[in-house]
Amino acid sequence: MTQAMLEVHNLVKRYNGFTAVDVLSFEVYEGEIFGLLGPNGAGKTTAIRTVMDIFRPDEGTVQVLGQPPGMTRERIGYLPEERGLYRDLKVLDVLVYLAELKGIPRPVARPRALAWLERVELADWADHKVKDLSRGMRQKLQLVASLVHDPELLILDEPFLGLDPVNVELVKGLIRESQEQGKTVVLSTHQMNMVEALCDRILLINHGRAVLYGPLDEIKRRHAPHAVRLRTPTALDVLPGVVRMEQRDDTFTLTLEGITPQELLRTLVERNIPVEAFEVATVPLEEIFIAVVKERSHA
Amino acid sequence: MRKMWIIARHEYRVNVRRAGFIIMTALVPLLGVLGLLIAVFFGGQASAFFERQFAPEPKEIGVVDHLGAFTPLLPAHQDHHYLFADEETGRAALRSDEITTLLVIPEDYIQSGQVMIFSKGSGFSAAVLEDSAGVRGFFVDHLLRDEVYPALRKRLADPIEPVLVSLEAEGQPQGGPLGTFLMIMVPYFVGILLIMTIFVSSGYLLRGVAEEKTSRVIEIILSSVTARELLAGKVLGLGALGLTQVVIWLVSAFGLSRGAVSLLGVALPLLTRSEVFILGLVYYLLGFLVYAVLMGAVGALGTTMQESQQLAGIFSLMAAIPLMLGGFMFSNPNMPLLRALSWFPLTAPTMMLLRLPMAEVPVVDVVASIVVLLISIPVLLWAGAKVFRMGLLMYGKRPSLAQVVRALREA
Repeated sequence: MTQAMLEVHNLVKRYNGFTAVDVLSFEVYEGEIFGLLGPNGAGKTTAIRTVMDIFRPDEGTVQVLGQPPGMTRERIGYLPEERGLYRDLKVLDVLVYLAELKGIPRPVARPRALAWLERVELADWADHKVKDLSRGMRQKLQLVASLVHDPELLILDEPFLGLDPVNVELVKGLIRESQEQGKTVVLSTHQMNMVEALCDRILLINHGRAVLYGPLDEIKRRHAPHAVRLRTPTALDVLPGVVRMEQRDDTFTLTLEGITPQELLRTLVERNIPVEAFEVATVPLEEIFIAVVKERSHA
Repeated sequence: MRKMWIIARHEYRVNVRRAGFIIMTALVPLLGVLGLLIAVFFGGQASAFFERQFAPEPKEIGVVDHLGAFTPLLPAHQDHHYLFADEETGRAALRSDEITTLLVIPEDYIQSGQVMIFSKGSGFSAAVLEDSAGVRGFFVDHLLRDEVYPALRKRLADPIEPVLVSLEAEGQPQGGPLGTFLMIMVPYFVGILLIMTIFVSSGYLLRGVAEEKTSRVIEIILSSVTARELLAGKVLGLGALGLTQVVIWLVSAFGLSRGAVSLLGVALPLLTRSEVFILGLVYYLLGFLVYAVLMGAVGALGTTMQESQQLAGIFSLMAAIPLMLGGFMFSNPNMPLLRALSWFPLTAPTMMLLRLPMAEVPVVDVVASIVVLLISIPVLLWAGAKVFRMGLLMYGKRPSLAQVVRALREA
């Protein structure tokens, strides 16, 4: 996971005096699922459109698969946030046309499209017009359209938007499967739970600027509230280094001061307190994001 | 380049199945069939039929001859002319519909030339009678019956029988004033027909782009091709569609030439003058390219189909200026205003399509208009692709003029 599939350096993009992306830098490595996170209007879509050569950067450089944007279109699968399909065309015809535009010859595109439709349970709809599909079906078809040409880099902008829980699981499965096949996935979303479930590394942006960037585990650890969660059937007494104790059923959240979790665990063992579960407490990514944004705005 | 062909093929296949295209394409052959049926119905005498309809002659004419030069009537005129002893008797015959018109020829007719024409109702039949070849023959025959032999009298009454011979189609005379009228009108309407196909095809482009934009499919397409490839592919595919339409029309016109074309009594100069035909095709293609690129860019600017159509109306109006100048066109197809409009890229294709069949257009106009169009098209494609690219991704808000200008200035 060392080869950079996507390199963005000091990217700036402005519209009519408004800076949508403000000196943004990040890299996406081969084979990872990279989360591009941020609230609505943070600049995610603008950054992605610049990567896709739909927008030209005002400043900075972008390298996609080692080349400038626009040179590697056929090796990228893209699911835009603003998406739709030809309503009056047949499902199979749409997929074959989009695959052809990605450089797949028509005789190859057709069986491949049919196989994908089978995979997402839309094979029976191949000869129906797109307008006959339900919203969820159209969402799946759009995702398939970004995968049908077997891309090396998959860029998905809000892929879970408007999906029911069953289809959310299906899409998550397809993303994981893509990673297993060696593809690199850039997942842009404002749904942080999805990122926590799928991503290896993340870039959190707000007002066009990077707020958090790096491996997800590390970020969560870095922002962990120096606390542990302990499950024990025994009532706990005062413990050295523990300044706060919260109990819910048989699980305690202990806030530490002056000691490490390892030192606490040693104390528990020394005192023969039965330990059924012990873990370093983490906070949801969403809370980390809110905390960091507040901190930046006060700074 | 390959992707441009894929887009062109896609656009062609999608639009050739549109109901609007099929109806429009079938309309001309259907009119041809209708013409054929009319020709059969009138037993090949259609021209004469129309001539009769346009110039009906009064059948039964009463004559009161105070001059005395018309009495007795010559045998050749006795079928439709009747002498009355006095005006009162003649008026009574007119009132009782025995005759349709009454001519009262006074004693001083030779000096004054005045003849009183009585008719029932409006003065239309009297006016027609005044200009009628039959009445001229009646007067010449009787006034010169003793001085001039009959063949010369006939010639004096109707001095020329025009036989129009085109230098390019020598030996194929085209007959009658109706033929002359149609010789001008038919190519004019063929020109209009070609112009219509330009607008219909570029209208598909406008609609296609607006649909792709409003259905949000455009960003998926732009992730696979450049805006220029997309616009060029669309122009190419829909240009082929327009050509298909014209070819079907031409083939059906040839096929039905015994019908529609011979009914009109003229061969189409667009078809018989080969240089006009070839230049017509050239202007058709160039005109299509100009308007298709414009419509593509305009289609991307609107936020809805209706808005795009309103914007496109500005350019359609510009292109329709030559059609509005039809009056000038008939009087002098080479007048300075029309020549100037032939040099302007947005009016050149339509203007030249209308001028070419109607007159010998100066070579300099042909060369200049083609050069202007050949230069304009890549410039428009370049500018159009920029506006196209900018407009496509602006949802819910139409770009301002300043934004369009900025997009054009960006490298």
